[in-house]
Amino acid sequence: MSYHFGRGWSKLTPYLLLLPGLFFYFLISLGPSIATGFFSFTDATGIKGAPIRWIGLDNYREFLFMGRASLDNLDALKRTLIFSFVVTTVQFTLGLIVALIVNQKLKFTNIFRTIYFMPVILGVVIQGLMWSLFLYPLGGPVAKFLALFGMRSEFLGGQPTEAFAWVIFVQIWANLGITMMIFIAGLQTIPSELYEAARIDGANTWQVFKNVTWPLLTPSVNTNLLLNAIGSLQAWQLFLVLVGYRNGTQVLGYLIYATGFGQTSGSVTTSFRQGYAAAASIVLFLLVLVIGLTLQTFLQRREKRILG
Amino acid sequence: MSAQTAGKFVSRRIRWDVIGSYLVMIFFALLYIGPILMLVNTSLKTMPSFMKDATSLATELHFENFREAWVKANFPQYLLNSIIYTVSATTIYILTAVFVAFPIARGYVKYSGVILTLFVIALFLPPALIPQFQLILNLGLYNNPIGYIMLFLVNPIGIVILVNYIKTIPKELDEAAAIDGCGYARFVWSIVLPLIRPAIATVIVLHAIGIWNELIAPTIYLTSKQYYPITRGLIVFQGVYGSNWPTLAAAVLLLTLPMLVLFLFLQRYIVSGLTAGSVKG
Repeated sequence: MSYHFGRGWSKLTPYLLLLPGLFFYFLISLGPSIATGFFSFTDATGIKGAPIRWIGLDNYREFLFMGRASLDNLDALKRTLIFSFVVTTVQFTLGLIVALIVNQKLKFTNIFRTIYFMPVILGVVIQGLMWSLFLYPLGGPVAKFLALFGMRSEFLGGQPTEAFAWVIFVQIWANLGITMMIFIAGLQTIPSELYEAARIDGANTWQVFKNVTWPLLTPSVNTNLLLNAIGSLQAWQLFLVLVGYRNGTQVLGYLIYATGFGQTSGSVTTSFRQGYAAAASIVLFLLVLVIGLTLQTFLQRREKRILG
Repeated sequence: MSAQTAGKFVSRRIRWDVIGSYLVMIFFALLYIGPILMLVNTSLKTMPSFMKDATSLATELHFENFREAWVKANFPQYLLNSIIYTVSATTIYILTAVFVAFPIARGYVKYSGVILTLFVIALFLPPALIPQFQLILNLGLYNNPIGYIMLFLVNPIGIVILVNYIKTIPKELDEAAAIDGCGYARFVWSIVLPLIRPAIATVIVLHAIGIWNELIAPTIYLTSKQYYPITRGLIVFQGVYGSNWPTLAAAVLLLTLPMLVLFLFLQRYIVSGLTAGSVKG
């Protein structure tokens, strides 16, 4: 495109002013992301000045195939997939249902929307501490509620699978509002004439949803599925706040952090093994890449079929 | 509206759908308000009363918890740190971001399409945790507020939002301003900036919330207590006062209430930021 603000040297002004932002981006984000690959082939530690040696595929071999630790790693990998799958499907379904309900012309829907969206601003620390209290096992609200049905739970301090399930619950609770808002934005782009036409044709509520709302919601469906899947594969901060680094609950993201920066909790102590952690980062990245691309391809094909 | 017509269609007979809708909405609302109410109630109780019955109504109104939390949690210092980090990093970021987004949107720099793609790619790349740490460590900026702020000078989503918004501004404006003798920097600063204010507000709010709520970076990069932001401070406080829920609840609430008030004002910016581009696909 033609540039109007001067000739000759002054044409370089946009480049000069673009430089700081681009520089920070390469330095802080893109560069380190790519360098993760390099570090994954080394024995880097977190100690300043310590020599870094090239060790080839050793980190990967150890991560995937060596002894008990690698079995734990594979468990963490499996857990990451379960976490991501459950969070994505449940959050997607509930988000859609809630969006359809609050998008009706009813009173107070704005207030409800705001309430569901609220955790987004609070961040993981407040979200986590709030639920630690709400899930207080010795007579907290949820404990009392369960007691009504003769059930009891140790919640976050209970069996690993139980604690894991509660983290999934809080994760969905915290992010449901985002999914809902994206669906609402999509719902509001559907022209009301289409609903009127469907009604004149005698369609019932389910038919209207199936033939008008659902197909026209495709862009929001795509966005939500991709965002939720990729986001939940990488999410682990709530684990840190709610349960800490506990055997039987770790997901890959937390494992990377713990092996890279050291974590002690109970019997588990890890050291600063940054090369190894970088290798784990690459494993997680490949997981995100494969799942993301598969999903993207599937969604695009579906979109072509529906919207032509 | 669409929903209205769909609603009328069914509601002629019985309004079960409306009743059902409200029941579902109220059920979910309880899940969201419940934890906050529990927080408020607990923060007003004494420890013995909490031990005896965690959910009973706080009749004693023990406001002492708040004073205790404020002082013992070292709140003033941590809050000040959080404010410094958030304000300075967001300011530097937005200044650089505008000058990145504008020429890309206009094609005033070569390969602007490639540059934009580079920013989009970042959303899928592996977590940069390890090399980032090595970088900060070797720059001598570990446990240093400046190094910490540096981590937050990047936000690819913000660039994408700004580029999309700038594209809606007619190019003729550039020409007209240039003919009037307006320079590039001044044009971006005093003409483009005011025009893209809604997008700027959205990006600022999203970026600032991200920094304010960040927990991982301070646990990795800041070891001295005097540098902790409020998130890390709260986690440390939990480690010490973990079983003393009334005081801990007061501390959490002290942080939650201002955020909720802020939320009511900023909600639309957050929503527009998070839903940006989602409709088009």
